[in-house]
Amino acid sequence: MMFFLRYVMRRTFQSMRGNLFPNLITVGIIAVSMLIFSTFTLLAFNLTNFLKIWEDKIEVVAYLKRGTPSSEVEPLLKKTRLLEGVELVRYVSPYDAMAFMETKLGRQKSLLEGIQPGVLPPSFEIQLKKEFRNSTKIGEVVAHLKKIPQFEEIQYGQEWVETFSVLVQILRLTQWILGGLLLIAVIFITSNTLQLTVSSRREEIEVMHWVGASPSFIRVPFYVEGLIQGLLGGGLAILFLLLLHQGLFLYIPPSVQVWLAKIPVLFLPPETIVWILLGGMVLGFFGSFVASMRVLKYK
Amino acid sequence: MNEAAIEMDHVFKTYPSRISALSDVTLEIFPGEFTFIAGPSGSGKSTLLRILFCAEKPTSGEVVVHGMHVTQTGFRKIHQLRRTMGIVSQDFKLLEDRTVNENVAFVLEVTGHPRKDAKEKASEILRRVGLEERGEDSILALSAGEQQRVAIARAVVNSPPLLLADEPTGNLDAKMTVEVMRIFADLHQKGMTILFATQYTGLIKYFSYRVVQISNGRILDGKKVDTSKIGEAKAGE
Repeated sequence: MMFFLRYVMRRTFQSMRGNLFPNLITVGIIAVSMLIFSTFTLLAFNLTNFLKIWEDKIEVVAYLKRGTPSSEVEPLLKKTRLLEGVELVRYVSPYDAMAFMETKLGRQKSLLEGIQPGVLPPSFEIQLKKEFRNSTKIGEVVAHLKKIPQFEEIQYGQEWVETFSVLVQILRLTQWILGGLLLIAVIFITSNTLQLTVSSRREEIEVMHWVGASPSFIRVPFYVEGLIQGLLGGGLAILFLLLLHQGLFLYIPPSVQVWLAKIPVLFLPPETIVWILLGGMVLGFFGSFVASMRVLKYK
Repeated sequence: MNEAAIEMDHVFKTYPSRISALSDVTLEIFPGEFTFIAGPSGSGKSTLLRILFCAEKPTSGEVVVHGMHVTQTGFRKIHQLRRTMGIVSQDFKLLEDRTVNENVAFVLEVTGHPRKDAKEKASEILRRVGLEERGEDSILALSAGEQQRVAIARAVVNSPPLLLADEPTGNLDAKMTVEVMRIFADLHQKGMTILFATQYTGLIKYFSYRVVQISNGRILDGKKVDTSKIGEAKAGE
């Protein structure tokens, strides 16, 4: 077994050294394909992560009808707290709302001069239980709130959540469609490069056939060559993606940087990196397997 | 009586273009026999040998080599059959980017022998064909006769019981032909079964080996020589 492994590795590296240019081209093409796929993976990963963060902070605001007697506020608070999915309810009076706006406006709070707090409607800020902080479950809570006649309007940024969810889904769909197309292209290219390699070693392979080398002795080095090409291609793709990720903050305007600082732009988690490397290896292997089916038939 | 090393029973080979390469060939070769397959170019000699080493399948008929039915040998078993035979061709088929020793050792390496053992065994067999001093030379530095001796060494390095030679002296001049024929005679004396295809009938007359005449894919004459004379042949000079 050890002998076979040593033989396979020696033959593989001899072949790769002897066909350096076609090998570099294949590794490059696998790297570019995997980079495109990985970029989409990274985007989808970050958007999903952002959606999760946003969903964690999601809050429902229920505005009370103007003129709702203050005696009704306390029973209404109790009623709202008992609704399924509700974790915490806070009453925001018009005065609290005005104070909040002043804080938000900071030095520009003079804009609010002359505006009476009564203009602002009282509201309930409703915090949901963790399992209800998603676009489906939040709808159920809102439906219950809408049945309460004292509430005039319910706001929870539903459209935004839904649009963002659709965006993530489109991104994931694009990622997999593109991944599928790249997969076919990479298998085609790898198998053609391997054919070049095989044809450059035609005489050697013919001699191997003649002298009774077993199919595994002939084919396995080519399979390993494909695996190595895939691994190198995948590795280069991850490296380029890491450089792009690191370089992202160097070339964007400071104003956007401030905004981005609030949203963590993460790199791919280790398990995804391992999957991408394995994916590259599988692509390389399939390419060489297809080539071997076509050109390494025992003659 | 010994079991035949090769049995061909009513073998036909017709190519898709309807060209008939072999027609009703029936032949038995016994272990230790040296047999010339003689006939003009295009008579079917190479096709016969190619069928024996499974490079081609007959259209019909039965072929048995060392007890293995060639017609029924699947893709995964061909290499086992090939390990029981050495193949020598007119154009040597040596690897020009390797040394003499590496060319011979290559056979052992790709059939599962450790590299060091393969090199030692290759040196030993090169000594038998008179090329012990040329082991580290490039193949391109050798004469045609020497290259053919390397090809023979490569064919027999894993000690196969059968040697198939397809016009092995076709590219050699008279002197080199004699050198190469001496090696074949020597291998035969050591008990190897040899099937030697040639179109040069002048070569055959110097040997008292069995001659199977083939023409237009048909065997004309396959008389068997007196086995007591096997090995007594002398290479003509």
